[in-house]
Amino acid sequence: MRKLLKYFKGYRLQAVCAPLFKIIEVIFELMVPLVVADIIDVGIPAGDKPYIYRMCGILVLFGACGLASTLTAQYFSAKASVGFTGAVRQALFDHIQSLSFTEIDKLGTSTLITRLTSDLNQIQTGVNLTLRLLMRSPVVVIGATVMAFRIDAQAALIFVAVIPILSVVVFGIMLGTIPLYTAVQKKLDAVLLRTKENLTGARVVRAFCMEEEETEDFNEKNNSLAKAQKFVGRISSVMNPMTYAIVNIGIVVLIYTGAVKVSTGVLTQGLVIALYNYMSQILVELVKLANLIISVTKSLACARRVEEVFEIQPSMESGSYTGEKSSDSEYAVELSDVSFRYSGAAADSLENINIKVKNGEKIGIIGSTGSGKTTLVSLVPRFYDATEGYVKVGGVDVRDWDEEALRDNVAVVMQRSSLFSGTIRDNIKFGNENATDDEIMEAIGEAQAENVVEAKPEGLDSMIEQGGKNLSGGQIQRLTIARALVKKPKVLILDDSSSALDFATDAALRKSISNLDYHPTVLTVSQRVSTVMHSDRVLMLEDGVAVGLGTHEELLESCPEYLELYQSQIKNS
Amino acid sequence: MSNNSKVQSNQPASHTLKKLWTFLKKYRVLLILSILLAAVSVVLTLYVPILFGDAIDYITENGVDLQMVVSFLVRAAIIAVIAALLQWLMNVINNRITYETVRDLREKAFLKIENLPLKYIDSHPHGDLVSRVISDVDQLADGLLLGFSQFFTGIATIICTLLFMLSISWKITLIAVVLTPMSLFVAKFLAQSTYNLFKKQSEIRGAQTALIDEMVGGAKTVKAYNYTDRSHDRFKKINDDLTETSSKAIFYSSLVNPSTRFVNAVVYAAVGLAGALSVVAGTVTVGGLTCILSYANQYTKPFNEISGVITELQNAIACAARIFELIEAEPQPSDEGLPELSEVKGNIELKDVSFSYSPDTSLIENFNLNVKAGQRIAIVGPTGCGKTTLINLLMRFYDVDGGSISVEGNDIRDITRHSLRENYGMVLQDTWLKSGTIRDNLKIGKPDSSDEEMIAAAKTTHADSFIRRLPQGYDTPIGEEGGNLSAGQKQLLCITRVMLTKPPMLILDEATSSIDTKTEFRVQRSFEKLMQGKTTFIVAHRLSTIMSADLILVMKDGHIIEQGKHEELLAKHGFYYELYNSQFAH
Repeated sequence: MRKLLKYFKGYRLQAVCAPLFKIIEVIFELMVPLVVADIIDVGIPAGDKPYIYRMCGILVLFGACGLASTLTAQYFSAKASVGFTGAVRQALFDHIQSLSFTEIDKLGTSTLITRLTSDLNQIQTGVNLTLRLLMRSPVVVIGATVMAFRIDAQAALIFVAVIPILSVVVFGIMLGTIPLYTAVQKKLDAVLLRTKENLTGARVVRAFCMEEEETEDFNEKNNSLAKAQKFVGRISSVMNPMTYAIVNIGIVVLIYTGAVKVSTGVLTQGLVIALYNYMSQILVELVKLANLIISVTKSLACARRVEEVFEIQPSMESGSYTGEKSSDSEYAVELSDVSFRYSGAAADSLENINIKVKNGEKIGIIGSTGSGKTTLVSLVPRFYDATEGYVKVGGVDVRDWDEEALRDNVAVVMQRSSLFSGTIRDNIKFGNENATDDEIMEAIGEAQAENVVEAKPEGLDSMIEQGGKNLSGGQIQRLTIARALVKKPKVLILDDSSSALDFATDAALRKSISNLDYHPTVLTVSQRVSTVMHSDRVLMLEDGVAVGLGTHEELLESCPEYLELYQSQIKNS
Repeated sequence: MSNNSKVQSNQPASHTLKKLWTFLKKYRVLLILSILLAAVSVVLTLYVPILFGDAIDYITENGVDLQMVVSFLVRAAIIAVIAALLQWLMNVINNRITYETVRDLREKAFLKIENLPLKYIDSHPHGDLVSRVISDVDQLADGLLLGFSQFFTGIATIICTLLFMLSISWKITLIAVVLTPMSLFVAKFLAQSTYNLFKKQSEIRGAQTALIDEMVGGAKTVKAYNYTDRSHDRFKKINDDLTETSSKAIFYSSLVNPSTRFVNAVVYAAVGLAGALSVVAGTVTVGGLTCILSYANQYTKPFNEISGVITELQNAIACAARIFELIEAEPQPSDEGLPELSEVKGNIELKDVSFSYSPDTSLIENFNLNVKAGQRIAIVGPTGCGKTTLINLLMRFYDVDGGSISVEGNDIRDITRHSLRENYGMVLQDTWLKSGTIRDNLKIGKPDSSDEEMIAAAKTTHADSFIRRLPQGYDTPIGEEGGNLSAGQKQLLCITRVMLTKPPMLILDEATSSIDTKTEFRVQRSFEKLMQGKTTFIVAHRLSTIMSADLILVMKDGHIIEQGKHEELLAKHGFYYELYNSQFAH
């Protein structure tokens, strides 16, 4: 939580004022028993009706003042808690966006989403409660005790005895049950896992006729959950009755002491009643405080989860080269002795790759699944850093490039890349926010996606659902290519991005890309020989090792793996 | 029937309650006991202030009757302790009723999941079903617990307080009764006016979650296209909106509590005034006044609590309705009493089979196929062509709409599902493993097999060597969804578990992705071993598999469009020919 505190900046005043006004409210509340005591001791014996009216008026007035200060407190606390959470949410979002691919792979997106949504909501509730209530209960407890001391020090000693006993009971039970609740949560997770498994694995469960065993297993887990729940329930339900009993015994002692004192003339009847009222207030507040602490503990756990994300630092640092000083390198992309291993993986995904790609050259990269094709092209826009060796773009090491400038120059159409909700125009502009409609249509034409747009009555304004759900795989692929082409990149990477296209469209796409007037360097990844065979050169990968590099004809001669692949795919047609 | 369902939709809450009662019924003795305990403990709790009041009446400036005071106080202490004990007992009983009911509900729900037609499972998002079994049941539990512990005691408190106050002074009681509902009105008024703000807040939240989902889910694309600045701006706009609406919503909604407290303070003052005047008039004692004041506090509290409980209960009932929807879903037709399929050699016949997932799009029509024991049938087609449909029908995960499928001449609808499925071995691409050890997973189809048999099977499928290298060998626990194993290793385990059961018929799905070449080779060899001498349906991706098949079924968009041997199909120059040239073959 400590690291998050800085986001209170701008809400400090509110965050301080909220509990302050809350305390003012409590003070008004604490005066009430004294006023009542006056009614009993002064008004009633004298039969002074106007005095009684006045005092009751004061009670209402105190109520109104209390209300006014609470409202002020609530206002400040709402402002502070929501403002704080909003600031954290924005910062967390930006932080997540600053992470590099390695961290995103490691964390997984679903947990990031929960942290941005439900965890932060829980934090907001916690902060709001803390600002509003956490100050209140202790102040009431202490205030009631102080008031009691003012009335009679000896009687107040009973308070001093009762409060620690109550606190031990309340907090002892609470702390004692926390690990038990964690255990319950674990058992619940087990029940959840069984349920989930039996849904995803419904076919296998039935194919192997495991229904009965699975049901038995579930019942066992479910029973053990119920047992654990009952056990915790039994312990935690001791709390309320026990505090009730303790407070009432306290009151018994209090009234007895009071009675003795009244008989010696030290106290009045009204003051005994006031003491009695203070004792009742303490009971109510301690129970409230316990519930509050449970809620705050939950929020702290959530805050911890959010902080964890903040603690993860992007593993890459952007360089400063922006590509303005044109380098006169004749190579668009160079990989020199590049090896790469994914974080946490046991073996290298790429080993000793060397390739120099000339400006405007078209390279095809082929190999079976898992051979490292995607990994190789991910190094060019610096999604990952090579573990060994270096990658250069335009003659400059990618680590020296400014990240944004590099990615402006290198456009990647990723494998299974998807579209976002919004219009077709929004989606293409994703690649270049300043693109005009003409430029957008040009890119769409080059990507062979005109008929996708023409088929829609609203043209570029047609809405695309999240993930492109309302389009076919081929349509999505062509629009994602258009999204890359609208950047007019120096280097274009197509990672298996025409797999859903039929042969004619695939061929037309290849042709249109090789006729682009800005002559980009193109790296095409594919499993189809027909997609890469017309490239200037083909790189063949197997298990992360380059087994061949050359023109199609050269490879047929020199690379047996390529020949085999070619024969299995093409020979018979 | 249709009449019935109409009634159901008209009064969902009362129907849900009735259904809930069927689960609660067996705890009715405990329930009655709980209500009794609630009533008694409330009466005792309320009696304690009267005793205190009586004691205080003996403390006057004119003289203190210490003996009387002590006797009242002793009584008060004893009653307070008894009340506390009864409360605890009530809580324990409520806990038991709640958690056991919840357990029963979950048990029923799970049993239903095991018996649902696959169609139901396929057409409902799993997350939704899981949340019914887990979080909906949990919320119901919370609601029940709160309902039992606060609803009954709340009502009992209100009634008893009224009676006690009446016994002291009916005039003062009247004031409390008339003024208290004011706090309810105030609460209701505020709740209504904040409703719109909350609605707006949840709309904005929904939009924000959607944006988060897209931008974080598509983080790689966002980064690759330098979209971070723009997504920051989009997020900021929604976030600022949310901040503004939320702080309003939270502020207005937080008015409820202080406002009702203020109303309570007014009630307190009014009761105090009336009480004090009555004392002056001599109709009420000072002790009676203290007592009434403390009641006035207690009387208003349950009103606030009950209004909270009611919202909670409404939510709980909504959750219960979702649970019952699952529990009452139509199960697959029972196969009790049907004969068992026995002595299977592997002859399968599909006669005039027609099938579709939804009535308006036909998929398979008048499909005929005669498979002799030991034949190998390859199913080919582009991804998403509906190859699993055939598996669904053969394994009887779905029933045919027309025609029949028979094994050894027995219509598969006339035999038990278990006896049919026991004769099939199935290896799907989606390599599902259960959480448990490797051993648990391998013996899934044949729990009574010995370790020797299991290891022998693993050796045949070349899985033994990698299993041995795992930290705890066959006892290595597998995490959720296969956890730490590679895709190829999972595939090998799936093959091994079928190898162990040695069924006469097989349904296999060749893996297409995420396997390194060496493992791929192993999986291939294991498949070969498994298929020896068995009737096999194989969803094929490899040229060698296809070429060695006795029959090839070509599927496209769910239809079976061509069938025949490799050469015959190539000669046709049809879809298979096109397909063959474009994608298979490596």
